Amino acid sequence: MPDVALAAPARVRPELGRLWIVPPSAIIALLFFYPLALIVRQALAGEDGALSLAEFVRIVHSPFFLSALLNTATIAASATAGCLILGFTLALVLAFAPFPGSVFVARLIDTFIALPTFLITLAFTFLYGSAGILNEILMKSLSLPLPPVNFLYSAWGVILAEVTVYTPFILRPLLAAFSQIDQSQIEAASILGARPPRIVRRVIFPAAMPALMAGGSLCLLLTVNEFGIVLFIGAKGVITLPLLIYDKAIQESDYQTACIIAVINIALSLGLFGLYRFAASRFEA
Amino acid sequence: MSAAAPADERAQTVGAATFGGAGSNVSFDNVSVAYRGAVVLKPLTLEVAAGEILALIGPSGSGKTTALRAVAGFVRPATGRIRIGDTDVTDLPPYRRGLGMVVQNYALFPHMRVENNVAFGLQAQGAPKELIAQRVSDALRVVGMSSFASRYPRELSGGQQQRVAIARALAVRPRVLLLDEPLSALDAQIRRGMVEEIAKLHRDLPDLTILYVTHDQSEALTLADRIAIMRDGALSSHGRTAELYRRPPNRFTAEFLGRANLLPVTVAQMSGPNGYVQVRHGETSLLCASAGERAGEKRLLCVRPQHLTLAPEGERSNRIGGVLKEALWQGELTHLVLDVDNTLVRVVATRLPMGPPKTESRLDLYFAPSEASLIPDEASA
Amino acid sequence: MLAWSPAARLVVWSLAALLIGVFYLAPLAVILLSSLAEQWNGVLPTGLTLDHYAQVLSGDSGEAVRASLITGFVASGLALLSGTWAALALRLQSERWRKPLGLLYFIPSAVPSVSVGLGLLVAFSQRPILLNGTIAIVVIAHFVLISAFTFGNVSAGLSRLSPDFELVASSLGASPAYRLRRVTLPLIAPYLIAAFGLSFALSMGELGATVMVYPPGWVTLPVAIFSLTDRGDIFSGAALTMVLVAATLALLLGLERVAARIVGSPQ
Repeated sequence: MPDVALAAPARVRPELGRLWIVPPSAIIALLFFYPLALIVRQALAGEDGALSLAEFVRIVHSPFFLSALLNTATIAASATAGCLILGFTLALVLAFAPFPGSVFVARLIDTFIALPTFLITLAFTFLYGSAGILNEILMKSLSLPLPPVNFLYSAWGVILAEVTVYTPFILRPLLAAFSQIDQSQIEAASILGARPPRIVRRVIFPAAMPALMAGGSLCLLLTVNEFGIVLFIGAKGVITLPLLIYDKAIQESDYQTACIIAVINIALSLGLFGLYRFAASRFEA
Repeated sequence: MSAAAPADERAQTVGAATFGGAGSNVSFDNVSVAYRGAVVLKPLTLEVAAGEILALIGPSGSGKTTALRAVAGFVRPATGRIRIGDTDVTDLPPYRRGLGMVVQNYALFPHMRVENNVAFGLQAQGAPKELIAQRVSDALRVVGMSSFASRYPRELSGGQQQRVAIARALAVRPRVLLLDEPLSALDAQIRRGMVEEIAKLHRDLPDLTILYVTHDQSEALTLADRIAIMRDGALSSHGRTAELYRRPPNRFTAEFLGRANLLPVTVAQMSGPNGYVQVRHGETSLLCASAGERAGEKRLLCVRPQHLTLAPEGERSNRIGGVLKEALWQGELTHLVLDVDNTLVRVVATRLPMGPPKTESRLDLYFAPSEASLIPDEASA
Repeated sequence: MLAWSPAARLVVWSLAALLIGVFYLAPLAVILLSSLAEQWNGVLPTGLTLDHYAQVLSGDSGEAVRASLITGFVASGLALLSGTWAALALRLQSERWRKPLGLLYFIPSAVPSVSVGLGLLVAFSQRPILLNGTIAIVVIAHFVLISAFTFGNVSAGLSRLSPDFELVASSLGASPAYRLRRVTLPLIAPYLIAAFGLSFALSMGELGATVMVYPPGWVTLPVAIFSLTDRGDIFSGAALTMVLVAATLALLLGLERVAARIVGSPQ
């Protein structure tokens, strides 16, 4: 414990070191928490500037809000499930059945974290859009008049894009957890007669559980907050909370509604963030 | 280490401390330390004389490291004052106490070369360039690492890194050198060599006060002028090394410092001018060194394994009999374990007349009275 | 390993290759291809051209590159400064407050970026501080979002630093400022560099908050790409996307080189 100062009964030593935290805290308070407070105040603004829940309640019960909330929840849950499955499968292969170039592949997938999320959406337009490669191939080879594959401009398109973009967030902790698994455990299990599927189920999966929980809750948080992908897909009826905030504020200049939705979205996010921190602390242990 | 210059000349070039020539004494005056409400160091009063090596030893959790860190200034005492020389340093931050420190993991700055590591303290204190260069080369010479000056720590072995760490601490001419388990991270082989080097350092720098924390009693026995044994946050015993070893004041000391055989005895009577006392173990009468006991008191007779031998034929006194349980031949020595009235007694014999005796045979042991002492029996006190 | 026989291994690798190819390689390849395509009505483009790049790098879109780079560097630099300062200062707090205070710094990254933008809009479109319609508000939005990441990275680096280094430095006579300059910061330099790289990448790709606050004269790359694709100009959009990706990757690679050199450099 460097420089731990314990209370000496006879004297008080001024803990000036503690004050160093003030400048960065003040900046974050001004640039984030103060605006946040104003959002809340705006959300609760009633007639003549008094605080009131009336508008808040009205918006929360409105169909457009409820459908956006439902969309957000289902898309986030599905995408997270997809991330977990894809991430677990890829991690299994990369960690336990590595092929030449698997290191490069792991790094490639890692780099995706640094790239913007809408990039994938753009690519999907070219691949799976109505004038995209997949449809062209299918139409040409099966002589179809209309493009058969049409999932892109729907919730499925969003989910697929999110799975692609957020799987690395599960892959990373999983690979770290797998590298901790003692190779000799697996060898011992094999010698005892266990076949690969059983080994995965009984040895690898339990060891991966904390990483899956941590990564999964992170994915949930990120997909709930995702904006770029939903914007770029731009499909009618696929509106999530962040997109709704944008529409209300920028397209309709309805700031109060935007603030109300933002309050709900933020509350949801903070709850998921708490869940993530809890799961992550179990993972680190 | 280089033996080019005679010892005193070398001492001249590196021995003078900045704070007035000689190393300083260290005083703990009723110092206690608490952490999170629990007392980790009970009030400690201890003097370390200038120029001596004091070893602070004890099992983990005994408070020895806490005491060292209190001197260094890394923990603040809850009560008491700490003095280095004439200065009360209790309220001073670590960088103003004029100390040098070497830790278990060397903590050499990996981003600096050896010479810059050694120069660090002097640069931090604003010393002029020529002085720095001089001190750095002196310090490296003392530890024998002059040819490694431009290497990086990662290129050095454990023992070499520790030597550089020592040089780094010496370069600032500390009043007191603090060593916190400096050899624990090294291989047994290297450790033996380093113990000798530290002993040599102490001879070459007779003015340097050294506070040495270790859990290894053999290091303490080899290096220390005086030893302080810590237990459960408190001082169990302290004194000159040889004294403490030959006449341990309590059971913990006897068992921690070397191995000891402890036999329950009753004091029979004070014996003559030799200062011996006669005690009884069951039926047997034995002579051992005295420390002012009175007849009838219960004590523990402490005799080290290496001071017991198989009783020679003609010897009548100080014989004690037991049944041999184990005989372990180990090349240089043979370990014998005997059952003496349900107490296990260990013997380390270097010379056995006719090979190891058979187990379950009855043997008589002998020890010289001066080699055995009495210790208070805490259980029955 | 899990797959023992050559046949099993082949199956597993094929599955992996399929997954990786479908999800990761194909999208990248497709964007690259479309950025170079003349016309793309069928399965493959009819021809390759650099026209789209020429188009986007001049005029308005060229401005977007400039805007993104400047915003990225400034916001990342400030975020690195703020995050490092906070991470270092947090160590001086008492045990009890460390975790809660630290959590506060992570919260801006937990909320949707759109709400950060909304907040800035609401807060600074009125007195006492009027910032809407300025470049500053865009930089501020990026700064707020990124500081959490720099703080996290630097905190992680600091926690991995053995306390022995600073304790020994202190015992040798180094004042806290000297210690910071010559021991602590050099030892966490790799983390600082990684934090800057991550910040820059995040800033380059940031859309949610930017789209809420940006003034007409300061269009960043993501916003420009959205405008292009929204009105159907997908090839130019693809070209501009490739520019964004190239710039981000170039900086990340460059920083890796710098980090590698610093770790082995003399003092």
